Amino acid sequence: MKPFLAQLKFDGRRLILRNFSFQFFSILMPAGFYLLFTKVMVSGTVPVSFSLQYMASMIVYSGTINALFGIALILMHDREKGLLQWYQLTPSGVQPYYLSVGFWSMVMNGIAIVVLGMLAVVVNHVSLTLGQWFSVAGVALVGQIPTLLMGVAISFLNRPETLSIVSNLITFPMAIVSGLWWPMSMLPSWLQPIGKLMPTYFVNNWLGAVATHATLKTTNVIGVSAWIGVLLVLVIFETRQLLKRGDGVVKA
Amino acid sequence: MQPIIQAEHVSFSYGEQAILKDINLTINPGEIIGLIGKNGAGKTTLLNLLLGVRAKKSGHLTLFDQVPGGPLTKRNIGSMLQGDLPIRGVTVVELLTMAVTHYPTALQPKQLMADLALTELSQQQLTTLSGGQLRRVTFALALIGNPKLLFLDEPTVGMDTNAQQAFWARVKALKAQGKTVIITSHYLPEIEQVADRILLLQDGRFIFQGTLAELQRQYQQVEISFQTSLALTTFEALAGVTAVSQINQVVQMSSTDGDKTLRALVPYLSHLQQVTINRESLATIFVHLTKEV
Repeated sequence: MKPFLAQLKFDGRRLILRNFSFQFFSILMPAGFYLLFTKVMVSGTVPVSFSLQYMASMIVYSGTINALFGIALILMHDREKGLLQWYQLTPSGVQPYYLSVGFWSMVMNGIAIVVLGMLAVVVNHVSLTLGQWFSVAGVALVGQIPTLLMGVAISFLNRPETLSIVSNLITFPMAIVSGLWWPMSMLPSWLQPIGKLMPTYFVNNWLGAVATHATLKTTNVIGVSAWIGVLLVLVIFETRQLLKRGDGVVKA
Repeated sequence: MQPIIQAEHVSFSYGEQAILKDINLTINPGEIIGLIGKNGAGKTTLLNLLLGVRAKKSGHLTLFDQVPGGPLTKRNIGSMLQGDLPIRGVTVVELLTMAVTHYPTALQPKQLMADLALTELSQQQLTTLSGGQLRRVTFALALIGNPKLLFLDEPTVGMDTNAQQAFWARVKALKAQGKTVIITSHYLPEIEQVADRILLLQDGRFIFQGTLAELQRQYQQVEISFQTSLALTTFEALAGVTAVSQINQVVQMSSTDGDKTLRALVPYLSHLQQVTINRESLATIFVHLTKEV
């Protein structure tokens, strides 16, 4: 327990308090987008349902950015710079490290939920019961798992430059086609079916339904579960390949 | 005395490619071992087997009488490997404070930083440190668990001369405390200075295991040069001489037995001027040996 608590303290500082990228890209940017599209660039009052749906979209977007840019880069960096190897050679092993990174990635998403939720309440005067807020947080945290697994999967890439390109190529097209930035009806008709297969689409719809009291569609839950299954298999396969290649072990 | 490391007929291969072949090794407490070899000789793989991150294919290998890689061996091992942990958003003291919790009998970070002259850097973020400073932090991280066995891989890369001297003084102090140190380095003069024993690995096999003196006795060439008006043929048949050449009036001789050759030269001393005698360094012996095999 002691190594895990110390690891939490260690990672809390570097992943959140001193992590400008997280503060800017995962919190300030989605918050800015939220204000822009629900307050600044609209005329008149936006419907409450739109304020809630867009809050859900920005929570999903924040989690996606955090997983595919933040967590992926941290995992790669820690492996490349020898931190993972150091843990591997200690009596406690790598478990406290992975548990801590997992914990903080959930907290990071939690911060986004709190910030975006507060903006929705304060600026757009939305009102949800405490139970609904807990449901939003629960769905957002479960819904983050597919993108988090994607982040882990791409963190196995060999070079930070490649990771940066891949993160950009996945995150922004996925955010656009799955309707996180603007409604899917604005996209070309041939693109919409593709968007409806993205994990962010399923999470966004599921979260939006919870926030707006809409009917829950089981397809969204199935979609998220399927993505978790597929990505879990991919991550396990990559980890085995990595160990087989000998990467992440001692380099002399 | 119970050996710290014992290897008998250990081998390792990647598929069909044999990397380590019939490795036999005994390392005792308090020894400083220099593990040397060309790139690709198998040093990394041997290090991986000893650290327990890879498993041997055959043979018998124990550390502290245990199979490598278990918690009991890990708590007795410290390693300063390549890669200097320039982790973003973390200070030196924060890294060491976290590291302490991973070992049951760890040292105090404050005392360790004082011992390694890191106190002034303790509040600095790792990403602001120079290469040499980071190397010292990595050394502190290797020592934090108060290990009995220390692996040092290219330990002084990036350190300035003062830091290097302080580093080797510290390594000698560790030996005095009974710690065992295994050093892998391409800087052979450093190995020459501190190692009690040298293990020379070539193509996955040890081609030499012994002290530097034994290595020198076995393989060292002595280079003798002087000016003389005598004919070159005078020196060709002298004891121990393996090669003789002459440029202008300067004769250069190589000998496998410097003492015998010098005794044989005594009758000619009145004809020799500007005599110089050079013993080959470990680096030169290394080059000869690894070329020959």
